[in-house]
Amino acid sequence: MSVAEAILTPKRRSFLDALAPGGRRVFFALAIFGVCLLFAFPVFWLVLTSLRPGYAVYYVHRGTDFTIENFFEVLSQEVVLKALINSFVISTLATVLSLGVTVTSGYMLSRFRGPIPNAWFAIIYVFRCVPYVSWVLPLYFVTRALGIFDTYWGLLLPHVAVHICFFSWIMKGFFDGIDPSMEYAAMIDGCSRWGAFCRVALPAAIPGITALAILCWLYTWNEFLFALILTAQNTPILTVVMAQFVHELGMEWHLMSATAVLALGPALIVTIFGQKYVIRGLKV
Amino acid sequence: MTSRSFLGLDEKKRFMLALIAPAVFALAMFQIVPILTGANASFRDWSLHDPQKTWIGFSNYRYVLTDEAFLWTVLPNTFGFMFATVSCSLVLGLAIALLLNQRFPGRWLVQTIILLPLMVAPVIAAIMIRWMFNDQFGIVNVVLEALGFEPVAWLTQKWTAFLAILLTDVWLWTPWFALLLLAGLQSLPPEPFEAAKIDAASAWRTFRYITLPMLRPVIVVCVVIRTIDAFRTFDIVWTISAGGPARATELFSLYAYVEAFQFLNFGRGSAAAVIGAVIIILFAMFLYRLLNRWVEVSK
Repeated sequence: MSVAEAILTPKRRSFLDALAPGGRRVFFALAIFGVCLLFAFPVFWLVLTSLRPGYAVYYVHRGTDFTIENFFEVLSQEVVLKALINSFVISTLATVLSLGVTVTSGYMLSRFRGPIPNAWFAIIYVFRCVPYVSWVLPLYFVTRALGIFDTYWGLLLPHVAVHICFFSWIMKGFFDGIDPSMEYAAMIDGCSRWGAFCRVALPAAIPGITALAILCWLYTWNEFLFALILTAQNTPILTVVMAQFVHELGMEWHLMSATAVLALGPALIVTIFGQKYVIRGLKV
Repeated sequence: MTSRSFLGLDEKKRFMLALIAPAVFALAMFQIVPILTGANASFRDWSLHDPQKTWIGFSNYRYVLTDEAFLWTVLPNTFGFMFATVSCSLVLGLAIALLLNQRFPGRWLVQTIILLPLMVAPVIAAIMIRWMFNDQFGIVNVVLEALGFEPVAWLTQKWTAFLAILLTDVWLWTPWFALLLLAGLQSLPPEPFEAAKIDAASAWRTFRYITLPMLRPVIVVCVVIRTIDAFRTFDIVWTISAGGPARATELFSLYAYVEAFQFLNFGRGSAAAVIGAVIIILFAMFLYRLLNRWVEVSK
């Protein structure tokens, strides 16, 4: 028995006990500070680099010249501006569509038993494991054949497909947590099945869906592999544009950092203001 | 409503099918059709010099499975990477979760900072690391030189480039472990901890014999999910090293992509992708069984 073992062994002086109470608090504070530094420093350094003028960027740690010119210079490039808009549109539409598609699928998985839900659940379970690269490579040819390569639809619909497996699963969890007796009551009172779903079950699941929406938006905004393979000149996407910068204008770190900071903006806003929802979303 | 009409399905079945119809359609068109296309392509000579796309049986598979680069670089890299990133971020994440489980002023601020990497695009994280590890102007080398060490050309050697990639992935995913484990810690019942305290168990023993066994189910779920996801890592490797120097840091996803889109041999890329999918599905099943058994034993 684990508890009994813990009791029976005599207490030994640990490293923390050896320190004075004050020293223990200092040690704790140092650990917290170290953790913050570890996670905040790279972002801080990126922001700092983006604020340095071109001639000073190689010595970020020296000198105090700062400028916001870099952001204007980056935004004056048509491809970056277009990529920002495209990324925003795609992320927003992909969020709306994926949630719309998976909310019904999750509801179905949660409320019904039998061969159809079982089969659907098994399909979702298996396809969740397939590595993206196994279907995004041929997806290139499929979207070409459908004539939607390098358009909004050509990126949007695959993005919806990515989310189906995982989100249906999570949505099932949301509806599992909601008592179905209210829906039965609504149906006895004359609501149709659709009515019970839209008017009773859906409003109850809104908090969970909000959390998922934020995560879905961020995920699509940050996604790279699909955007790399399924788009070309006509539909530049922010992450791809940035990765190209790294390989093409590898020396202009101030411009690259400025683009990255622009791409980081929405993510930072979401983190700070939507923290509660993000944490809830991660825990599902 | 009449119970039997359309296609002989009753009203309930029709409702069920209507609910999943859009999802089934999207999944079929954009996941199942591509997978079948890829499987078909993997048996063909689907490259630039063969417009007929001749059926060549298993020779693409034979090529990939006997490719020195795939067997001795890509596979060890991928599994080494999976193991290293999952174990590092698990240990670090657990440590941070234990720290955050204490009450102290400014906790929400620390939590916000730790949440930060989860919101950062992997591509941006890779750009940050690339800049920090730049051999001439990066801050890492500046600090090394200030401390009196020789500067290191991080991204032009295999192991240091691999280390930079690993570091990026750990940076990106430790917060995820930390938050999930913190949620797990907060949902543990307080009684065993109180008992341990009364019996004056040391902090380490409390952790080893009470916290860890009770947390094991959460840890298992985290590890399985993260291991499967780590297998398909693409963006950070692509941005930091592009598989270089000389394909030394290529992971599985990169290998398939490079075969298909840089060497323009789509059949080979697809064969590699199919092999990878089979490997990870088998590995996931094995891992799930193994870890499940550990959970059983610890109960």
